[in-house]
Amino acid sequence: MLKITNLKATINEKLILKGLDLDIKPGEVHAIMGPNGSGKSTLANVLSGKNGYEIEGEISFNGMNLNDLKIEERAQKGIFLAFQYPLEIPGVNTNIFLKTSLNSVRKARGEKELDTLTFLKLIKEKAKELNIDEKFLSRQLNVGFSGGEKKKNEILQMKLLEPKLSILDETDSGLDIDALRIVADGVNSYKNKENAFLIITHYQRLLDYIKPDFIHVLSAGKIVKTGNADLGEQLEKTGYANLS
Amino acid sequence: MKQNYDFDIGKIKNLSQEEKVSRQKNLDLFYEYGFPSKQVEDWKFTDLNLILNKNFDNISNEVNFESSKEFKAIENFEHNFIFLTNGKIISTNFGHEEKSKILIEDYNQEEVKNIDPSNTLALLNSALSFGGFSLEIAKGYKFKKPLIVYNCFSQDLKNKILNNKNSIKLNEGSELTLIDYSDNNTQNNFIKNTVDTIFLNKNAVLKNVLIQNSKSNGHFYKYIKGSLEGDSNYENYILSSGLKLNKIEIEINLNKDNSSCSIYSALNLLEDQHQEIKTRINHNSPNCKSYQKIKNVLNDKSKGIYQGKIFVEKIAQKTDAYQLSKALIVSDNAEFDAKPELEIYADDVRCSHGSTSGSIDSDAVHYLMTRGISKKESVKLLINGFLNEVLEKITHNELKIFLEKILEKQINGH
Ligand SMILES: Nc1ncnc2c1ncn2[C@@H]1O[C@H](COP(=O)(O)OP(=O)(O)OP(=O)(O)O)[C@@H](O)[C@H]1O
Ligand SMILES: [Mg+2]
Repeated sequence: MLKITNLKATINEKLILKGLDLDIKPGEVHAIMGPNGSGKSTLANVLSGKNGYEIEGEISFNGMNLNDLKIEERAQKGIFLAFQYPLEIPGVNTNIFLKTSLNSVRKARGEKELDTLTFLKLIKEKAKELNIDEKFLSRQLNVGFSGGEKKKNEILQMKLLEPKLSILDETDSGLDIDALRIVADGVNSYKNKENAFLIITHYQRLLDYIKPDFIHVLSAGKIVKTGNADLGEQLEKTGYANLS
Repeated sequence: MKQNYDFDIGKIKNLSQEEKVSRQKNLDLFYEYGFPSKQVEDWKFTDLNLILNKNFDNISNEVNFESSKEFKAIENFEHNFIFLTNGKIISTNFGHEEKSKILIEDYNQEEVKNIDPSNTLALLNSALSFGGFSLEIAKGYKFKKPLIVYNCFSQDLKNKILNNKNSIKLNEGSELTLIDYSDNNTQNNFIKNTVDTIFLNKNAVLKNVLIQNSKSNGHFYKYIKGSLEGDSNYENYILSSGLKLNKIEIEINLNKDNSSCSIYSALNLLEDQHQEIKTRINHNSPNCKSYQKIKNVLNDKSKGIYQGKIFVEKIAQKTDAYQLSKALIVSDNAEFDAKPELEIYADDVRCSHGSTSGSIDSDAVHYLMTRGISKKESVKLLINGFLNEVLEKITHNELKIFLEKILEKQINGH
């Protein structure tokens, strides 16, 4: 589904990703761990199409060259990034945003756009699954939401847009124990043979709920180690110090 | 350079000889000054003389008022209406109301008096005024549904000027939502010069909404003069994007205790549109409140202006006055000017004012685009979010939904 070959990314003349390879197949869950500042969010941003990066190397997504796609086209084609720091957008009503987003994606996929009533029914259902109070949906997007509420709102968007590749950038940080379980259940119930996950995290506890097929260690812009689910527990004990 | 004015009082029907003489005086005075240019302080951001010179070869007041035209009433929104063509009443419908409580008639041209000799447009209006309506609501009567004033125009207005006066009087304790709805689908250049006089008696409540339904080459000037008695409330919503030139001047006199007024504006200006809102709130009595929130979005080569003055008389203690202007500048070629002014002679008052302008938050655009929304749509969502706030305080649900739709239409460029 996603194949990254020798990816280098520079921002403000600073080389951050220094030749990264990654191959994600449908149905797989990949986790990326690694020290602060190693380039995890940069990888997520580059995949989402954020402006400002100079890119070298190849990224192919379901046979398309990702670099040729605009930001919104990536989303429409099934890439979803749950942000490490979801933005507050004053004035924009959450429901209106969600409806515009869903309908943009549906339209691009050649599906019928949903009318307001059908949309509201759908979103209420999804919100309930994630234990999100309906009241949040009529508030301004993320404005005044707590850290955990913002993260849950990201997962709500994921479930709404039904992406093929979901990139979760530290979605677990800021979540309390119950919220973590709800979010993990949300991911697990959405997971199937056709879609894939790239989960960026610092903590094993999320990986206890969502079992990864692979764990990669990103350090100084490169993947320095790849292992199976057991690698997480090992890292929990030893840290990143003796890897590089 | 002076354009060719072809103003003739003889072309106005049914005037007494006396009337003609007094109007001619106003016209002669107007000729002395002409249309205001930027040298006139009140017009320093809107050089009307220059703008008219550029867009009109000749201006005449010979207007055909007989040509009535079909109009399409707004659907799915219950309302009463007054239908005007070129400013003159063609028909009215107060089907939702008790008719005995409402007085509606042509504006009495004999009442045409000069308003303010320092305002040459008012002079011209007094010289050439025709048509217009007078509306009076009986004591204690609260309108059940809004009243829409449909302003429609004939197709033959190229190089013409329309001058109308309207009068709106709410007697004690009466309530009305009045929507001034301009529906101008002609591409003709013409000028509309309107003076609205509003009187709110004790405890009366007037919501006044200004809407421009379509993009047009109209050059509009509107002067609203409101006088408020004790405990009355005037609220104004300006949603008039779409005109080539629009200047709205609002003067509110808070004449008795506990009267209050609010002015909200949400404008999305495109292309070379030019809109100015100029307000003057006179706190003439103690314990009055005024609130102004002016929001402008400037796209393309548009220009927006807000000149807002709060004047507090010496006796107007405990005045509470607030004024805020926020502009969102989307294009490098757009311009916004704000001139807030406070003139305060009382010592126990609360007055605050502020003005900010900024550009679109690119991180917010990015966030929205990662959710599959195109850049253009993302910017529109942000603009809508920015402007929509001015409708926040409307509690009447139907009205709110109606105005949200109007705003959305304006954001989409009509
Ligand atoms: N716009 C920028 N200009 C310069 N340097 C940047 C920019 N953005 C990120 N960096 C740098 O790139 C490096 C990688 O940042 P990134 O956010 O990808 O780290 P991360 O692995 O996600 O860290 P964390 O675990 O703390 O979230 C950091 O050293 C950061 O300071
Ligand atoms: Mg990060």
